[in-house]
Amino acid sequence: MNYNLMRTKPTTYRFWNQQQKIAPYLFIAPFYILFVVFMGYPLVSSLVMSLYEMRGFQSRIFVGVGNFIDLFKDPIFWKSLRNTAYFAAGTLTLQLPIALLLAILLNSKFVRGKNILRLAFFAPVLVAGVFVAIIFNLVYDQRAGLVNQEFILFGKEIGWLNEENYVMPAVILTGVWQWAGFNMIYFLAGLQGIRQELYEAAAVDGANWWQAFLHVTLPSLRPVIAFVFVVSMIGSLQLFDLPYILTNGGEPADAGSTIVMYLYKNGFQFMRLGYAATIGWVLFFIIAVISIVQLKLLGIFRDE
Amino acid sequence: MFRLPIDAESFPLGKGPMVMLVLFLVSTLFIFGRSEEAGENLEFWIFANTHYEEYQARVPIFEAQNPGINVQLINFGNTMHDKLLAAMLSNFGAPDLVEVEITSIGRFLKGAIDEVGFVDLRPRLESEGWMEKLVVSRFTPWSYRGKIFGIPHDLHPVVLLYRDDLFKAAGVEMTEVETWDDFIAAGKKATRDLDGDGEIDQYAIVLDRRTESDYFSLLLQQGGGFFDEEGNVIIDSELAIETLAFFTSLFNEHEIATPVYGTWHGDPSNFAAMQDGKILSILSPDWYVGILKSQVPQMSGKWKAIPMPAWHPGGRRTTTRGGTMIGMTTQCTNPDKAWELLKFTYFDRPGLVNRYETTRIIPPLKSAWDAPIFKEPDTYLGGQPLGDLFIELAPDLPPRYQNPYWSEGADLLNDAIFAAVTEKQTPREALTELAEKVRALIAKDQGRWGEL
Repeated sequence: MNYNLMRTKPTTYRFWNQQQKIAPYLFIAPFYILFVVFMGYPLVSSLVMSLYEMRGFQSRIFVGVGNFIDLFKDPIFWKSLRNTAYFAAGTLTLQLPIALLLAILLNSKFVRGKNILRLAFFAPVLVAGVFVAIIFNLVYDQRAGLVNQEFILFGKEIGWLNEENYVMPAVILTGVWQWAGFNMIYFLAGLQGIRQELYEAAAVDGANWWQAFLHVTLPSLRPVIAFVFVVSMIGSLQLFDLPYILTNGGEPADAGSTIVMYLYKNGFQFMRLGYAATIGWVLFFIIAVISIVQLKLLGIFRDE
Repeated sequence: MFRLPIDAESFPLGKGPMVMLVLFLVSTLFIFGRSEEAGENLEFWIFANTHYEEYQARVPIFEAQNPGINVQLINFGNTMHDKLLAAMLSNFGAPDLVEVEITSIGRFLKGAIDEVGFVDLRPRLESEGWMEKLVVSRFTPWSYRGKIFGIPHDLHPVVLLYRDDLFKAAGVEMTEVETWDDFIAAGKKATRDLDGDGEIDQYAIVLDRRTESDYFSLLLQQGGGFFDEEGNVIIDSELAIETLAFFTSLFNEHEIATPVYGTWHGDPSNFAAMQDGKILSILSPDWYVGILKSQVPQMSGKWKAIPMPAWHPGGRRTTTRGGTMIGMTTQCTNPDKAWELLKFTYFDRPGLVNRYETTRIIPPLKSAWDAPIFKEPDTYLGGQPLGDLFIELAPDLPPRYQNPYWSEGADLLNDAIFAAVTEKQTPREALTELAEKVRALIAKDQGRWGEL
């Protein structure tokens, strides 16, 4: 009946025909509109901005690659880059192995109270970074802090947030406390996805626990490890709020300054938006190169 | 019977998500469905909670006096300055009135003077005779190239707060201290290892060596600064070098100063050290007394105050630290009404008295100073009339000249102070290097776009 109706009204028929062509584009339009407005346009505009420098609020001057040249000669940028790399290295060598270890423990048959432990290890990530920084400010206090109360026993009072050499270790340890439990959940999910038959087959072949770990667990976890590695690396390179509050803006002597913190300072405190955009693009290239290299080394691009 | 096109059972994701969706839609309608109040709006942005609370209580009075005006107070907290920067950059969305903090104002003054996002208030101030009624030196942080972009909220004179009980126990009468030399002598007696373990348990003074706060206060007291009135960099002057040498000597040579516990003077660990009697004195602006009162009320009666020790007998006994201004943005749509609101919040005597009551902040309006509250004994200071002391010092406040390069300069100054105190550089090396860096920065900008 409806079919007849459509045949008798050519306009309606044309509309149905047309909308079939348009509809798919309409369905995907929200993503593309949002992407262009909030990602595409800012990306292009920040690239353009990196070639200019602001002259107050209303006008700007074209400086070409001047900002990039300045950046590579800027000692605070290099210090921030070193600090950021230090944090990333600390995250990958300390935080991720701890996360994997916790996941293995919670996946084993011998540990009791798994749900409570899982919640306990995961809970720090629910705390906003600002609060974590405030709490750890007290924990690292030179005289009365929780950490030093222990270290004083060994005869040394460490100025965690007051001596240049200890600032980044303090930030790394805080990062471990906050994020190890979060990464543990990824590893746990990965471990639970490994087929039990593989372990049974390994046992039949006479493999001990360590051999099973090396030859069954780790290879099976490869995609998860790759994911956690890359995400953690990107997160580390974007580090900002934790050291910003913990070290009161990177002090002393920029020992706690990171790339994003330096970007923020230039953009918002010094009103050097062109320079800040330049730092942003350099950071983007660093992240892109490291991520591609990591994924390649971990064999993610290989066909299985 | 009327049936909804969809019911809980047939909703694709089940009952729970459907309830969430309904709640989301209802609350959205509720939030966006509220009608705007009729009349003219004045938007006023604030970053400090105490200010916000004060204005919240006082704005209804202003609205009653000015029918048809709705004042929207928005407290953005610490992110306010960044939001203001974005609004001024995009030339859209800035409030009519806004309060700006002293270390943040510099960046708003970059570029051509005509492009600054604040209205020059000098004509209004002069035509209504306000300049004479306020402490003139307090306009310097908010002025640049002859224009006044903000009205001072405060004076922030600094005094020396000290533990009378503990200094007396060390045989020192602090009221006799007049100069910094006197203070060093007193400090050496009071800085002590109480339990004989070889570690010093109480220090005569706590100073911040990570940031410019204490050093710069001392430099201003000397009559120095980072920039002079014409915008020249003077941080490598002999005065600045001598002051930094003095500052470092309190830590290294005389060993009577301890670095601030935690990251700044308002850190909980610093308050803990005060309560434990590890810190015997502190350079305190008026607002810091307000913080102490709210954060460590249990120390009531333990502190006393004297004017800061002078550099030379008969010299200046105070300095200034911190500050806030109120400015009118160039995006303001009703400047006359905004000016009335500005005057109501900054020049109204009952309001200023009320402000002192809660925050201990001394107003720059001289005619408010004879209010009885400033003479009242302060129980937190063992009955000493603190307001009176601040007011006595107020006319002697040093000027603090503002400059668009203050943010960059202060950031590098922090590093220079730390390098000098930790003896990585001499005060002369640290400040000379700093001054060269800032001069190079300014020269580079001027080379790019010429003199502004």
